[in-house]
Amino acid sequence: MSAAGIDPVIHVPARLQIVATLAALPEGDALSFTRLQNMIGLTPGNLITHLRKLEDVDYVTIEKTGSGPASRTAVALTHRGHAALDLYTETLRGLLNGL
Amino acid sequence: MSDISGTGNAANEADEGRLDPREAARLLAQTRWRAQRGLDFRSPWLSLLAAAAMLVGFGAIWLSVRGQHPYEGPTPVGLVGLYAAVLVRIASVIYAHRRATEGVTGRSVQRRQAEGAALAVALIVVYVVMAALAHAGASDGVVYGVYVSSATLIVLGTFGAARAAAREDWPSLGLSTAVMLVASGSAFAGPRGVWLSDGVGLCVVLLGYGTLQAWRRHASGSDA
Repeated sequence: MSAAGIDPVIHVPARLQIVATLAALPEGDALSFTRLQNMIGLTPGNLITHLRKLEDVDYVTIEKTGSGPASRTAVALTHRGHAALDLYTETLRGLLNGL
Repeated sequence: MSDISGTGNAANEADEGRLDPREAARLLAQTRWRAQRGLDFRSPWLSLLAAAAMLVGFGAIWLSVRGQHPYEGPTPVGLVGLYAAVLVRIASVIYAHRRATEGVTGRSVQRRQAEGAALAVALIVVYVVMAALAHAGASDGVVYGVYVSSATLIVLGTFGAARAAAREDWPSLGLSTAVMLVASGSAFAGPRGVWLSDGVGLCVVLLGYGTLQAWRRHASGSDA
């Protein structure tokens, strides 16, 4: 089966889980790094690496507030990230219907 | 607590592995289902608890007024039963809500605070009008029976319906509409019967809503 046309940034298990989880939030909301990690079950190192890859293509925003032990990191899906997930879902549907 | 300090760049190479489209569709559906379930505070168990609380709370008032001739209004013991049931309902919702929205920040938090303030004002207005009715000489049966129970539930139902419609949450819109119908229909049962009718009606409506929630969870879980 060909996976041509599928967004290679999202088409990775960990990043697909990150994007799909963030897409479940109401528009304009963000999720803390810790809660996202708990929901997906990745190690902190894995999660931050995948998040940086998603941030590089402007699919997520990562906002850190405070410093030291009191710091908080909030992650949110951008409009571009939402659109990419919609397109990815449509492409997958097309591929599966063509089987 | 620092969220991401000291995590390094240790991405597991296995996580970079590409997916078969069928496997990707399954993972996407499963992740969406888990995320929606994890972020939503509502559950069949919460609805079941609400149904029991409404039956106990309104039932306590009905037991306290059913033998009154003429009608005088709920007794302190009846009110304690109602307030205890309402407190259980509020505490269970707050607990479930805090658990579901832990780590969530943004516009929806501010929107919920504004909605809560608007609802509080609406409920205060119900009791101000109740005082005005008593001041104007309305009977105890109207003021402390039909009006206070029906008006409170109609305000809650209207608020819930408007909120559900704005979110296109059709099951919640159905629940809120049913609450308004129970409240308006129960008003015809008179000052004593209104409490029993509200208690039984809300219990049935909430049990139906809980069953629908359980069925939808099961159906979407099977799809995922």
